[in-house]
Amino acid sequence: MVYTKKSPALLVIGIIMLAIWFMADSGALSGYIEHLGGKKYKYLAELTTLPLYFGVLSVLIGGWQLFGTHSEGQWDYFSSAIAGAMFILIIAMMVRWFVAPEVAVVSKMMGKVGDTGKYIHKLLGLNYVVIGIVVGIVTVNVFRVPEWAENGVRLSRLGLKTGVILLGTLYSAAELKNLGGLSIIMIGFFVLGSVGIVLWMGARMKIPNSMGGVLSAGMGVCGVSATVAAAPVVQAKSVEIAYTIGTILLWGVGCMFIFPVVGNLLGMNYVQFGAWAGTGILNSAQVAGAALAFQPDGIETLKVAEIFNITRVLVLPIIVIWLAVWYVKREESVTETVNVGRVIFEKFPVFVIGFILLFALSSTGIFAPANHYKGKYFGNTAESGFKESKLLKADKIAVLSAEINKIQRQDRKTAVQNLIDNGKVMSIEDDDALRGLVNAKVLSKDANKILKGAHKAVRHTAKKIKAFRNWITWLFAFGLVGLGMQITMSAMKQAGGQPAIIGAVVGTLKAVLSLVVVMMFVSGSI
Amino acid sequence: MSEEKKFDRGSALSIFGSDRKEDFVALILALVIAFGVFVSY
Repeated sequence: MVYTKKSPALLVIGIIMLAIWFMADSGALSGYIEHLGGKKYKYLAELTTLPLYFGVLSVLIGGWQLFGTHSEGQWDYFSSAIAGAMFILIIAMMVRWFVAPEVAVVSKMMGKVGDTGKYIHKLLGLNYVVIGIVVGIVTVNVFRVPEWAENGVRLSRLGLKTGVILLGTLYSAAELKNLGGLSIIMIGFFVLGSVGIVLWMGARMKIPNSMGGVLSAGMGVCGVSATVAAAPVVQAKSVEIAYTIGTILLWGVGCMFIFPVVGNLLGMNYVQFGAWAGTGILNSAQVAGAALAFQPDGIETLKVAEIFNITRVLVLPIIVIWLAVWYVKREESVTETVNVGRVIFEKFPVFVIGFILLFALSSTGIFAPANHYKGKYFGNTAESGFKESKLLKADKIAVLSAEINKIQRQDRKTAVQNLIDNGKVMSIEDDDALRGLVNAKVLSKDANKILKGAHKAVRHTAKKIKAFRNWITWLFAFGLVGLGMQITMSAMKQAGGQPAIIGAVVGTLKAVLSLVVVMMFVSGSI
Repeated sequence: MSEEKKFDRGSALSIFGSDRKEDFVALILALVIAFGVFVSY
């Protein structure tokens, strides 16, 4: 079968992209950009570059697809996916650059919501990620994905996986040391607990063992990939896999919208929300969606959530072994021998290994100083990026000197004294102590402002890590718009019946219990 | 699973024949991007 469609669609997409670039570059859009936020509008640099590159590419390939001759083969199969990929990309661009900022403008016009002190678009998490997924869902369910784009829409998961691998560049060993222990304890408890409860409820409600087994892996570990990995172990039928995936998607979509609202209402910080989303939400993509919805302009929440998510994925082999043993014990009529070792070898997600590889590379210091924390690193010398103009002036030193006696803790007092003596933060330990002092609100607002400024002066962002952040943001935006296009009403309806009830009970328990644990025991801040 | 009939290759969710192939392509893509960022910045 020949996959390349003789459609003008890709050519038209390319022309639209070039028109956007021309209008942005020539200043024709300046009035509209002023309306969307003026100097606060953050996407001008992207607007004047990305549509040009992708526009030229789309016009060239679109022209060839429309006017060239095509025959069956590898090249036809893979190049035909470009039209769908560009279809997703232009939707992601429109949503990120225009629709989401417009929603924010309208939301701000409506004023803040009650006592929350937040605008409604913040509370509902209506940013480019959520709007992109909604546009994807509407596209597939109302208009259907155009035939020429169908092949390319199947690239969205590749975008998500590539994004997850690149996330490894943002982590360093120092960071894992801070988060790893917590994530392992929480994930261990909640994953094993979820799997156990699903298996127990499944037995009580008399659903088939294969259904219970595949649903427990999906609900407990990491959604769709875990379902696919566990399916051969419990000899699940395709309809059971579809039921499980439908349940996971339906539940996950609900969580993706509800979690950021709850997170905002409770005033959770990045680490708390990341830990909660990474534990309580089932599917990797929806964890990313919720984390980005909670913090659309940064990546700190996403990074914490992904650490939890990756930890969860790493539990998969244990769950597979558990399920294999459980299934063999319960099913007397198992005829086909399941080789657990082979299943793990064949089903373990390689992209997780890629994440670990890039994490190891990042920890060696090739992208940023090895001790970088979330892409940021400490440096108080000119060689490491400190600017002499950032040295504290006499008036600021006077403010700190006047308040130093308010400080009780010796490490914090010493750090402030060092700051007063040198005009800059002298060590990472001092920096941590000063950040703790700011959080403790011991000093006046003015003094805290000075401390925050001193902290910023010695914290630098590596350019490479900044570039990786941009790549990751776009790969996730691309993957999540495409994910929306795969959420059909029929997939959602498949979640009906008992698997959906079990899924909802276990999902709710997991979400509520992990929220309680996070609020009680996780207090770290960025 | 009617979507699967639209394609004689890959699955409803991926253009690749298996998850493993998709993972490897993602890995190669990520390494290419990482190398590009490494030499450009």
